[in-house]
Amino acid sequence: MPILIDKKTKVLIQGITGTEGARACKEMLEYGTKVLAGVRPGAGGESIEGVPVYDTVKEALKHHQKINTSLIIVPAKNVKDAALEAIFAGIPLINILTEYVPPIDSSIIVAWAKEFNVRVIGCSSIGIISPPLCKVGSIGSAEIRHMFKKGSIGVISKSGGMTAELAVVLGKYGFGESTVVGIGADTVPGSDFVDMVKLFEKDKQTKAIVVFGEVGGAGEELLSEYVKKNKVKKPIVALIGGKFTHMLPSGTVLGHAGAIVSHGKGGYDSKVKALKKSGISIASTPEEVPILLKKKLLKNK
Amino acid sequence: MKLYEFEGADLMEKYRIPVPKRQLISSLKENISIPFPLVVKAQVLSGDRKKAGGIIFVDKPTALASALKNLLGKKISNEKVEKILIEEKVKAVAEYYVSFSFSGALRAPVLAISSKGGSGISDAFTFQINMIAGLESFFVRQALSEAKFPSKDINPVSEIIMNLWKLFTEEKVVLAEINPLLKTSSGSFFACDAKVDYGKRRSVESMDGDIAVIASGGGASLINIDALLLAGGRPANYAEYSGNPKKEIVEKMTQEVLAKPGIKACWVVGGTASFTDIYETMNGFLEGLKKISPKPDFPFVIRRDGPRTKEAQKLLADFAKKEGYKFFIFGSETPMVETAQTVVDLAYGKKPLKAKK
Repeated sequence: MPILIDKKTKVLIQGITGTEGARACKEMLEYGTKVLAGVRPGAGGESIEGVPVYDTVKEALKHHQKINTSLIIVPAKNVKDAALEAIFAGIPLINILTEYVPPIDSSIIVAWAKEFNVRVIGCSSIGIISPPLCKVGSIGSAEIRHMFKKGSIGVISKSGGMTAELAVVLGKYGFGESTVVGIGADTVPGSDFVDMVKLFEKDKQTKAIVVFGEVGGAGEELLSEYVKKNKVKKPIVALIGGKFTHMLPSGTVLGHAGAIVSHGKGGYDSKVKALKKSGISIASTPEEVPILLKKKLLKNK
Repeated sequence: MKLYEFEGADLMEKYRIPVPKRQLISSLKENISIPFPLVVKAQVLSGDRKKAGGIIFVDKPTALASALKNLLGKKISNEKVEKILIEEKVKAVAEYYVSFSFSGALRAPVLAISSKGGSGISDAFTFQINMIAGLESFFVRQALSEAKFPSKDINPVSEIIMNLWKLFTEEKVVLAEINPLLKTSSGSFFACDAKVDYGKRRSVESMDGDIAVIASGGGASLINIDALLLAGGRPANYAEYSGNPKKEIVEKMTQEVLAKPGIKACWVVGGTASFTDIYETMNGFLEGLKKISPKPDFPFVIRRDGPRTKEAQKLLADFAKKEGYKFFIFGSETPMVETAQTVVDLAYGKKPLKAKK
């Protein structure tokens, strides 16, 4: 079994009428994901790719009681509102693709999600894919979806772009994925590496975990603490971006909102040192990831 | 994007946080209308400005003149001083520290306070804000009390903190800091340095090298510049676009990156995209390239894959052939980081130039 999403996943898309929302809808349907409904206030009664559109989440749920996942692709200024609407409606899994959501809004979403026991992936997530059963979001779109293959590697990535790149290099060594999760790299993330590793630990299909991290934030350090404290058995290989960033002034914001140059804690050296201490292997290039995985899996046998 | 102190001070004033009388100057000819004694402060973004001599206290016109002459145009941590803030000197009996920022580990905003503020501050009490309740005054009073602020100061300082919270949440910034918050003998408070950061980034960060980089993907861009250094390359910049941008964005970035003198090669690099239209973005790159004069004769190594790659590769190859550019084009069959070695070899002349297509 994969984590988070599988053939039982029934999706609502908030922002289904937008360009990216409609595109994600089309691609998810093509992949076989069950998209039951969409929401766009004021567009109730319309349909996108044959999927009915409602004015509110509550109304969509009234007509489609099996919805258990919401994908949010609305403009950044509306994300907090849309996420709270889904949380208060009791949808247990919310995946937010929108980028540039102000961290103050994310922190409100995170607080309420915790209160309602709702899992949030994102903001700035590329989506989730459990090949070949289901995908949510923009991950693995039409032309490259064959790059994600069913297998035993769980992938957690702060970077959307790196998900397909990692699937390609894993595929070259005969590895496939149980689930690939884009957690985004915002300052205030809905879910972090630890949240996902906890799920992969319990998942029987997953034999090893690949983590893509980068400078900024505390996610990698928290993962290292968790792995050490809880003696996580499944092998973990990490690829960390931003070794070069010591050449840039402290405080420089890089590609992702949460990727902030730091010359101390949160910096490349601090993260790599922490991860190594807890037995996590560090790949220096994407191509080294499957090589290290092979080594670790062999040792574990 | 950090704000300069004078911009931060204006913002503080907007949110009813008391700031000293001040005047911004950018030339030596301006009349100073604030009474002595004064503080003369270089407007740079660097954090250690005081140590670098960027803050000078003056009590008479001759000292002011020499301070201004000394500071204007001076370099502090590689930043040229173009503006100076002249401020009324506040006679302080205490220096406090207050700020709001985010903790990634707590996934919430935090209030940090200290009754021993100033430029050497190292430790502060921090308090996580409950975002369901929002910030209420009682919470701030409790925090000030726990951080051992004098009883008399709890009400006035908590009022300033509530106003700072309003600024923090309404402006949606990632950092709002007052250090120092000065207390006068009459019990008034003044925010004497304001640090506000919107957390936004510039599209291109300049570096010292000679290989221009146009990268895509927040994560892949980091991996690729790491690989470039490992291969012995010297990046001229850090620049990244991601998502599914319109071609104008890539066009503008290409122009900005290639405007730098002394470039030996250009690396256009990204991973295998899930939803970026490769044709659209490569078209943007070519539009930008067309506007560079003189026409670059250095090599371009292009490695990208994802939706509409085939069309994009044909567009690039046809363009290079017709216009006479040296393009080396790769897709996902060649590892991203392997093309780092290719661009380094081409840039520094280790391999004879031989176009692939």
